[in-house]
Amino acid sequence: MVLVRKLLIANRGEIAVRIIRACREMGISPVAVYSECDRTAPHVRMSDEAYAIGPSAPGESYLRIDRLIDAAKRSGADAVHPGYGFLAENEHFASAVRDAGLTFVGPTPDAIATMGNKTAARAAAIRAGVPVVPGSEAALDANVPDAEIATLAASVGYPLLVKAVAGGGGKGMRTVTDPADLAGAVRAARSEAATAFGDAAVYFERRLVRPRHVEVQLLGDTHGTVLPLVERECSIQRRHQKVVEETPSPVVSPALRASMASAAAAVAKAVGYTNAGTIEFLLDENGRFYFLEMNTRLQVEHPITEMVTGLDLVRWQIRIARGEKIDLDPVLLLAPRGHAIECRVYAEDPDNGFLPSPGRITCLRTPSGPGIRDDSAAAAGLDVPIFYDPLISKLIAWAEDRPLAIARMRRALDEYLVAGIKTTVPFFAWLLAQPEFIDGRFHTAFLDDVLAARNGRPFAETTAETEEIAAIAAAIHTALSAPSTGDGQTAAGAPARWKTEARLESLRGL
Amino acid sequence: MHYEIEIAGRLRQVAVTRTGDGFAVAVDGRLRQVNATRIDAQRWSLVVSAESKSDMPARVSYDVVTTPGPVGGALTVHVGSIPISVVVNGRRRWRRRDEGAGSGPQRVAAPMPGKVVRVLVAPGETVRARQPLVVVEAMKMENELRAGRAGTVSEVHVREGVSVDAGALLIVIQ
Repeated sequence: MVLVRKLLIANRGEIAVRIIRACREMGISPVAVYSECDRTAPHVRMSDEAYAIGPSAPGESYLRIDRLIDAAKRSGADAVHPGYGFLAENEHFASAVRDAGLTFVGPTPDAIATMGNKTAARAAAIRAGVPVVPGSEAALDANVPDAEIATLAASVGYPLLVKAVAGGGGKGMRTVTDPADLAGAVRAARSEAATAFGDAAVYFERRLVRPRHVEVQLLGDTHGTVLPLVERECSIQRRHQKVVEETPSPVVSPALRASMASAAAAVAKAVGYTNAGTIEFLLDENGRFYFLEMNTRLQVEHPITEMVTGLDLVRWQIRIARGEKIDLDPVLLLAPRGHAIECRVYAEDPDNGFLPSPGRITCLRTPSGPGIRDDSAAAAGLDVPIFYDPLISKLIAWAEDRPLAIARMRRALDEYLVAGIKTTVPFFAWLLAQPEFIDGRFHTAFLDDVLAARNGRPFAETTAETEEIAAIAAAIHTALSAPSTGDGQTAAGAPARWKTEARLESLRGL
Repeated sequence: MHYEIEIAGRLRQVAVTRTGDGFAVAVDGRLRQVNATRIDAQRWSLVVSAESKSDMPARVSYDVVTTPGPVGGALTVHVGSIPISVVVNGRRRWRRRDEGAGSGPQRVAAPMPGKVVRVLVAPGETVRARQPLVVVEAMKMENELRAGRAGTVSEVHVREGVSVDAGALLIVIQ
């Protein structure tokens, strides 16, 4: 068995904190890395060791393979966990870790490379006998003539999506409904893909009507076992980015679950997949599902799976990397206990087109209590930097069933207070009260459609009563912070504040 | 003390007087007894009561947070988890600016450093309120900056591909 005694975490934010927690529980010494702006970040302070890896821009720090390997060597770590994002799906990083004689907590470089290429991944799914969304099987590079592109598009059928072969997160993706727009869309997708991924190749996929995004988490060990876990429903997306996930899906029956799970396991086995991974499917209105892509890493939304299965997925990642066999009961992994929902709380202003809202968190009250988990690296007094994904927390609610989980999440959102920056908490409070959400009637375009229809109407709904309370609080705040108030308090500055505080003390009626 | 407090575009006249066990606060003439106890620099516990039972609010105990904004008089007040923007004595403080409100040019600036990925309007074009003007990529996301109100684009200061600092002037609408 491979020894893992000291683990370098090549990441930051809440996921670095999440991995540190697993390390602590396993008796493994966690090693952090940090960029300039992250010097005082929680993941640095919670680790046993921390190494500076460069300036704040990710390209000069968290994406620098050489500096990460150097930090791992200096620390004497024997393993590296990439988290998600940054280098988590970069086969060169996985190779570099191996070449340095270290254990990579994740799949092999080959598996990452195969599944990172969308057309190769589709080919693997077809090989495994799993349906893929109808589309073009060959990548269209810049040399393919327009006439050939048009013929191919017609054979796929409209409406279709032009997608980047190296893509992800909606980048290099265009919807084409009218054949006249095809050439322009291909050009735009190619240029976006070239900028984002350094690879201009694109392919076509038929656009399904109102599909759901349903994905299957799986674990594969190095002894040939691949076990699928209960599905996650991730159809609530804004501009192709997941914002709410839940498990189980409100529309997946046990029979459909079993067939999606075995399809997912077949795809993973076709590429000899090891460690934690996720097979994403589109599910149409008739209950047919199609392979979409594979994420060869831990997912952001992994905690909801942990809540309904009782597993610690990060712990399993490390155990698998050590060469251990998965000795879990496959039946239990597909039998969810209760229901879990996650809201990705972002430092964004939902009432201003979801613009990023970086800055200092001046006051933070996080929810807790029954069934609530807050995976976060935010703290009062800390800045949300402008350089990275503005995720500040993943709020997870678990309960016996879906209606109770929704009620619990709404209760937790009500407890969640972040001052100093704007967050998406008011947006989630609105979303979880929508009848479509409560009834589970939604698809991948649902949120973009309702947001467009709202046309910027604010989410933070105030009532006459909360406005009155806000007016009262503002007036008292102003009265007590005024340097000279003219009603008996004359001295400005500190002494006046002292007097104010003393007066308030006396009013507490203790 | 007397304040003019603006919330959601509506002005309220608020009078605050100290009383034996806190404050008497009249909001547009409706009187509340308020026990305001400070938790820390920003947090307060408010317990509100009315003169008569019939006038009592549905809820009397509130956890509120007051966060001073970047300019004097502007505050964010969280009532529960909902942030509410409040301006105290805005007309008094900002009279000069207020006189021109709604008529002067609208200057659209970058709210954060980033890269301009798309410019969606050209000088001379008329725009509707909330029409997207520029797309700026920052924090891994593409962000649409929209027109605050309808008008005609008079100046475009950026082109696609350029990097901008926070506060950089992008578009002017007349």
